[in-house]
Amino acid sequence: MDDQVRRILALAQPPAKRFIPGLLAGIVSAGAAVALLASSAFLITKAAEQPSIVELGVAVVGVRAFALARASFRYLERLLGHDAAFRQLSRLRASVIERVIPVAPDGLQLTGRGDLLARLVTDVDELQNVPLRVVQPLVVSGVIAGGAVIFTSVLLPAAGIALAACLVAVFLISWFLVSRVAARAERELAPLRGALSEAVLELVTGLDVLIAYGAVSAARARIETADAALTRAMVRRAAGAGVASAVLSLGAGVAVVAALWAGMPALGTIGGPALTVLVLVPLAVFEVCGMVPLAFGAWREAVASAERVARAVPVERPEALPDESRGSTDLPPMTGVLLEVEDFTASWPGSAAPALAPLSFRLAAGDRLLVEGDSGAGKTTLAHALVRFLESDGRYLLGGVDAHGLLPDAVRELVGLVEQRPFLFDADIRQNLLFAREGADDAELTAVLDRVGLGDWLAERGGLDRPVGEHGALVSGGQAQRIALARALLRRFPILVLDEPTANVDPELATALLADLLDVAGAEDRAVIVISHTPVPDELVTARLRIAAPTPLVSGT
Amino acid sequence: MRPLDPRLLRYAGGARAVLALGGLIALVQTACTLGFAWFIAQLVSRSIAGDPLDELLPMLWLLLGIVVLRAAAVLASDTVNARGSAHVRSQLRRALVNAFETLGPGWVARRSSAELTTVAGRGLDALDAYFGRYVPQLILTALAMPIIALVIVLQDPLSGVTVLVTLPLIPLFMVLIGFATQAVQRKQWDTLAHLSRAFLELVAGMATLKLYGRQHRQVRRVRAVTEDYRVETMKVLRVSFLSGFALELLASLSVAIVAVGIGLRLLDGSLLLGTGLFVLILAPEAFLPLRNVGANYHAAAEGITASEQVFEILDEAAAVSSSQGALDDAGSDPDGAVPAEGADGRGLRLADVTVSYGEHVVIDALDASFPAGAVTAVVGRSGAGKSTVASAILGFVGAEGALRHDGATVSGAPGDRRWLSWAGQNPVLVAGTIRSNVALGDDAPDDPRVVDALDDVGLAALPLDHAIGAVGDGLSGGQAQRIAIARALYRLRTTPAAAGTPVLLLDEPSSALDRSSEALVVDAAHRAARAGAAVIVITHRPAVIDRADTVLRIETQRGPVHDAETGEEVVLHG
Repeated sequence: MDDQVRRILALAQPPAKRFIPGLLAGIVSAGAAVALLASSAFLITKAAEQPSIVELGVAVVGVRAFALARASFRYLERLLGHDAAFRQLSRLRASVIERVIPVAPDGLQLTGRGDLLARLVTDVDELQNVPLRVVQPLVVSGVIAGGAVIFTSVLLPAAGIALAACLVAVFLISWFLVSRVAARAERELAPLRGALSEAVLELVTGLDVLIAYGAVSAARARIETADAALTRAMVRRAAGAGVASAVLSLGAGVAVVAALWAGMPALGTIGGPALTVLVLVPLAVFEVCGMVPLAFGAWREAVASAERVARAVPVERPEALPDESRGSTDLPPMTGVLLEVEDFTASWPGSAAPALAPLSFRLAAGDRLLVEGDSGAGKTTLAHALVRFLESDGRYLLGGVDAHGLLPDAVRELVGLVEQRPFLFDADIRQNLLFAREGADDAELTAVLDRVGLGDWLAERGGLDRPVGEHGALVSGGQAQRIALARALLRRFPILVLDEPTANVDPELATALLADLLDVAGAEDRAVIVISHTPVPDELVTARLRIAAPTPLVSGT
Repeated sequence: MRPLDPRLLRYAGGARAVLALGGLIALVQTACTLGFAWFIAQLVSRSIAGDPLDELLPMLWLLLGIVVLRAAAVLASDTVNARGSAHVRSQLRRALVNAFETLGPGWVARRSSAELTTVAGRGLDALDAYFGRYVPQLILTALAMPIIALVIVLQDPLSGVTVLVTLPLIPLFMVLIGFATQAVQRKQWDTLAHLSRAFLELVAGMATLKLYGRQHRQVRRVRAVTEDYRVETMKVLRVSFLSGFALELLASLSVAIVAVGIGLRLLDGSLLLGTGLFVLILAPEAFLPLRNVGANYHAAAEGITASEQVFEILDEAAAVSSSQGALDDAGSDPDGAVPAEGADGRGLRLADVTVSYGEHVVIDALDASFPAGAVTAVVGRSGAGKSTVASAILGFVGAEGALRHDGATVSGAPGDRRWLSWAGQNPVLVAGTIRSNVALGDDAPDDPRVVDALDDVGLAALPLDHAIGAVGDGLSGGQAQRIAIARALYRLRTTPAAAGTPVLLLDEPSSALDRSSEALVVDAAHRAARAGAAVIVITHRPAVIDRADTVLRIETQRGPVHDAETGEEVVLHG
């Protein structure tokens, strides 16, 4: 486990002053469970000796009190423990966001991968288990086991040693089973699950082609093979857990047998009630310690979650990303030549080769530059380098000033980007526009929607209060592009980059949309860079630039 | 929630055997519990009564034997449950995959592919908690609880009454408290889901937030929102943890009542120590399985939701396949079975074809011919139903009217149309090599023909053995589309003569292509037509339309509309 993973796990653990009250309640509750059985055993055996009822008074009170304490403190333990874990969750989430901000979007190892992103969120949520399901049960079990061993040793040292030996053996064996055997099976599971998902996804997404080409049976065979491999690994993993619970059951039984073995010959010195207590205490202790294998399992899962979080959100800024905390905030005057690049190139984190062949161009107010190229040619790389999501090499001047010396936030006040898949927040239309310029009134918002050709749509929708749906599910690809452009217009960027605005739009509507977007974006003496692989009519642009991949993956494009 | 969905037994036959074996093991476990408690009580009480150690030793060995047997039963139970749920999972997965095929691409396309993949993939893993843990606990509870309670009653009726009164109270309290908190809890789950979504959105939308300089205030927002959530959730938990509290309290109080009662009766000599101890050890065991059922409830609920999704799909598929059988019988057209004579016999003809999705009529009584030897362009506005024409030809949508190939009415499954070679809008590449993608469905690919097909779309330079993943890694969108077209050309050229006139159907073949690649594809289409195929190209590209022999214009909810320029239904070029 490396340092980053350890730091993330530590983030999930609440501070002592929040954690200890719940822990104490847990210890009292578990202790009461053991004491309930011990005092009951004592009460019964003592009663069989038929002493006066007064001698049993304390035991009777004890039995009732322990029964109440066990349930009440358990309730308290759960409340306090959850409260502390939830408090920690808000810190955990905030600190993940703090880490995400300087490296997003290109430093996150999950750009464009919806499943990985969802996984990150689940992983962060699952880290709550560290205090609740790992630390708490382990500490409680440890304290109870230790206490029971001491108590038993006082009654009869041999029985104490036997109990300790059984407990240690069970802890060690279940640790080994869970952390080695099950963990190995678990490591095998991830790629096997991936293979199965891929095989199913292939069948689901390509069902029409597979049917039309009579290839369904091959796809089905692929799923069956992946399923069989996954099933074998899952059964192996379950075997680890099964052996762990069998060992727990065996340990409890052996501890009872050992207590009888040691206690029966010593009956004369310790007395009947003590013998019963010695025999029954291990039963209660092992019931408490039944949480231990589960806690080991939960720990393994928490470590896996922390590892994924650490991998997805790098702590160290990769070299290919600019330092977001440094740079001047003095914005240059935007007149004349707004933007100039020379031998401009950039690369992606984790890849040494540049993703963009060096290019040079300059833009003045009112220019509209079309950048063309096949996928993989570096079109999106160029867009992201211009808004300083990616670090770049070569000259990059904004209003005559070196953009590399500006704070990336400052660069993004001058250069706007309408993304290929504009992100719409699950809120109403107004909120999706307002964050571009706070304080804009409804008239302004309606006017800007009108300019991007969404006036009728807005009226049809019923106004700015209507939701856009999760990830903009309620709007089409073209509408999302127009809303994103409206947002950019509100912000009044002097330079605006449109990255493949027609990528998710019906081909027949693409040209019309492109014309609309360029028309609106190009007004107000703005410089516009439009990136596209679909043909763009000459009259829409003032210049063209064709780029090619620095190292094509497969030749023959 | 129903404890056990009968559909599980219907769709996963393997479940029955697992349940039966699980019941058998549960009986062994119950016997072990009874024996364990009995021998402990006997050993302690006889030892106190003064029996010599030598006489008790065999009994101690027996106890050790029971301990070992009990552990073995635990292992057996876990193993059977794990294997059983794995088996059930595989059975359901296979059934689901078959259901996808039965329901067809149209059905699949209306759902999110990610969701279907989850249902058939990870979603089924949630069954583990349900079928592997919850159901076995249920069986154990159903068997062990009455047996143990009965033994307690037989041994010591008074203690038995305490246990018998308390046991039913536990589910009662859980249900009552459950009802009281259910609505609040559901709202809480919704809030939780909403919060996770909001967090997800924040990470996913971080690029956008940065573009507008809005990222820095998010940390505080996340903190505040999560904190609000904690306050609300704790209010709910205070109530919902009460059900656990009631359970624990009843269980431990009844053990306390049993212990004190036994103690008092031992005191006046009306009970033997051995019996008292036996009942004391058994009393918590009567409650244990029920507590475990409660502990596994939440994880099981997830599994039940997952299995319900699965069963819905399987039910739907079962309904479709039974109704399909009926249609096939009624739909065969005795006249159409005989090849019609006449000039327009060779090729494909849609006769009065109507396609509707529910109320919405997409194609209304379309009558169109696609003769052998000609390239027909199908044009029309977006949403006019061009792709539905393709689906009707492929047999992916139910259509009224008739589809005639070489004069004979086409019936049967979509997979039986050997004469049809199709490339759709979405170039689906399957995991494998370039070769296996071009020769998809051909078990013995013919390399020279694969190269020929690739050459026709300008991709002759691609290495046939180049491995591609399911998402087509390493290939551009344009390359993927051209490979899909090469695949259709390969199939076209390997169509056996017995299948009749080969039909090449290209749906928006050049949407991701530049002009020169587009020209290559159009050339290939015309060569195919000259070789005798009926070629249908659905397109909006002028360059493709201009070179077509015939143009068929489709309009929304109406039949073919007369072309504005010529007044003819179809426009012939040259």
